[in-house]
Amino acid sequence: MFITANHTGHHGVRQVAPLLVLATLSLAGRLGAAFNPKFETVSVYLNVEKNGDLVTGLTEQNFRLYEDGKPQSFRLEKVEEPASIAVLVEYSRSSGYFLEDIDGAMKGLLKHAQEGHWYGFATFSHELEIHTDFVKEIGLITEAYSQLGIPLWNEIDTNDAVYEMLDRIGRLPGRRILIVIGSGIDTFSEHTFDDVKKKVESENVTVFVAGVGSVFRTVYDASLGPSAQMTLMQSRAFLQMLADKSGGYAWFPTHFNAFPDVMLGMMQSVASQYRLVYDSAARGSGKFHKIRIEAFRMVDDKCEDFKVLAREGWR
Amino acid sequence: MVKLDRRGWLALLCTELLLGNLAGCASHRVTLPVIRPPEAVFEPLQDELKKSYMTLFETASRLEYSESQIAKMQEFLKQAQDYCVGRFESTSKNHQQRVDEAQRSLKKAGVTDSERHNLHCSIQDARALKSQADVISQHAIPVAYENRQAKLELIQKWPTQQKEIQQSIDNGSYKKRRWADVEDIGFREIEKNQKDDIKLGQEAIRDLKQSGMMPKEVENEEVVAFVKRVAQKIAANSDIQVPLQITVLNSKEINAFALPGGFVFVERGLLEAADDESQLAGVIAHEMSHAVARHGRKLMTKGTVAAIVYQAAQIAAVILTGGVAGIGTYYALQYGFYGLGLTLNLSLIGVSRDFERQADQLGIQYAWRAGYDTSGYIRFFDKMATKEGYVNGASWFRSHPPFYQRMVESQREILYLPKHESAIVNTTEFMAMKQSLTKVSARAEVESAQRPSLVAPEQSCPPPSKLVYEPDKPIEAICSSPQTIPAITASAR
Repeated sequence: MFITANHTGHHGVRQVAPLLVLATLSLAGRLGAAFNPKFETVSVYLNVEKNGDLVTGLTEQNFRLYEDGKPQSFRLEKVEEPASIAVLVEYSRSSGYFLEDIDGAMKGLLKHAQEGHWYGFATFSHELEIHTDFVKEIGLITEAYSQLGIPLWNEIDTNDAVYEMLDRIGRLPGRRILIVIGSGIDTFSEHTFDDVKKKVESENVTVFVAGVGSVFRTVYDASLGPSAQMTLMQSRAFLQMLADKSGGYAWFPTHFNAFPDVMLGMMQSVASQYRLVYDSAARGSGKFHKIRIEAFRMVDDKCEDFKVLAREGWR
Repeated sequence: MVKLDRRGWLALLCTELLLGNLAGCASHRVTLPVIRPPEAVFEPLQDELKKSYMTLFETASRLEYSESQIAKMQEFLKQAQDYCVGRFESTSKNHQQRVDEAQRSLKKAGVTDSERHNLHCSIQDARALKSQADVISQHAIPVAYENRQAKLELIQKWPTQQKEIQQSIDNGSYKKRRWADVEDIGFREIEKNQKDDIKLGQEAIRDLKQSGMMPKEVENEEVVAFVKRVAQKIAANSDIQVPLQITVLNSKEINAFALPGGFVFVERGLLEAADDESQLAGVIAHEMSHAVARHGRKLMTKGTVAAIVYQAAQIAAVILTGGVAGIGTYYALQYGFYGLGLTLNLSLIGVSRDFERQADQLGIQYAWRAGYDTSGYIRFFDKMATKEGYVNGASWFRSHPPFYQRMVESQREILYLPKHESAIVNTTEFMAMKQSLTKVSARAEVESAQRPSLVAPEQSCPPPSKLVYEPDKPIEAICSSPQTIPAITASAR
């Protein structure tokens, strides 16, 4: 469900003052960037939520942006269309318990995928396999998915696959989105959790996750030993990290029937993204710069705050 | 311990190879065929095979080649194809070795960033060349040689068949053939209840669109209006009893297809490939005939909508290219070997050769009745089979029965039809449409160029190499003919 912002503009004095300052900063920032090559232009893609519903229709005045705790001037720009959306699917012999979820998620995605974007499709087990390079015809993804053979490998090298996909997508211009359909379990990757975390931080790719393994969250949960539970918790934490770091969202449905709705929600998130752009003076520092964004709206002289899903920072 | 002689070791090696790879011991010719007709026969016969079907239909009866000369030429063509395929398979293997070597180098300790970059570029380049070599060896060469064999067969058999045809015309027995009542086109009934297929077609289209199988439509009004005019003209001179719904799809595939109930789809690539209006009319008439004869419904082995959608989806998948061929297709697309219509074997999904023959016959009748030069159909077919670059592009063409049989049967039908005084070959409207089409194609090319890629080139690499061939030359020229390019090497970057 969407909430559309109302634009009545009844700002209270308390709220207007900082906005004026930010607006001034915004103008100054733009002028500064034009003349100072030391600025790094940073794009931040985000979703705004209220009680789990996506909020659309906000304007520049509805946001505040901080880098390393300092307010930044910024501009609200249109998100780039079409987006490059890569779909990464776990497909291993060890994914037996998840196949129903994976299938539900894929079918949901193929049903709800919005026309006009570029879609690519890859699977992984012991290594990444790209089945369809970016195409606009969803049917080609359908075709490639329907022709996946029986998985031959037992490995689920999630870390490596995500790392490699981020690397590949990260090179592309424009808006980049990675959809991960998997359990998050990792059996034999070369890349560690920290490697992938740093990679997400350094690539401006929004990661949306459909976490498979609904049976373990329901039917088998009680019968799992501590070790298995720990593995599942770590796997989930990994997937959650991808979403949190990148400004995406991770869903973990408890029944495979929920996956189509999850994928619909995912595509709605893609359609509702905002893009804030600012010029950072921290160019080339190499260290992690934390980003915080606030979204709010004035309703009857009261400030209504929203939840913002944006990348946690950049390198 | 058992001692093995050289032959024994070779047998063992082959066994090992077979266990690892069934094709391990299968080898292609490594040299050009030496067994061929004497030069005095070989050269002119080779030249004959480069001529069009229409020319050969006219001249075959004047050619004098013995059975043994023809047989030797057939053998030569087989060997030449084998050699040609082998050459490109070998090229493919070489590039794979390059990939493997570079990948091994990447794993060595102490690889600098610069070296790594160069190795990435090398892998990228080798993969591109391998994909091109695979497309050529697996698809382009077999099609080209199949066409040559068909022409040889035509030279051998057409004179006799021509006499038989003339005899049947003279004695009137040709009027006993199936659907001989061409004077009654529009008033006869090829199949009853065509309208029952409309719902089926609509459902199939809806499902195709929902599943994203259907390419976008061409939005240029001039192009669409022209194609619709041609199609309606043919429909008005056909046995179709349902409203014709013609759609022009914005895909570079050289293709057209029909769904039950009078839904005919024409691809942009087909319009680009057609040289004149009679060629386009021939293909549209052929597709329309499938709807008239209700072939779509007959294909439904299970009697469900899903079955026909599956058929259409299979066709659409090929039309759209990709999917099956994956990254190989990406490279194929990059270098113009697009289409890969070859991936579709309609016999596997139940398309009968009889249906194609029926559609050929009816299509020729409808194009004739609409006033078009019926040879346009054969000329288009010939073009598809002859020109390198087109060979790969036409799934419509590739998915149909053997060339010789179709060409001869089409020509037979043409000969049975009364001659038009001034059959339409081309029109100024067609040329205007082609002009408008260039804008559509250019826009599509721009979008294609902006396409992102998951297998995107390593940044700052030289552009990938391309296998050498000369455009507009028959594909045999790149590997088998003594006069042509001797080496398959990467072009300069």
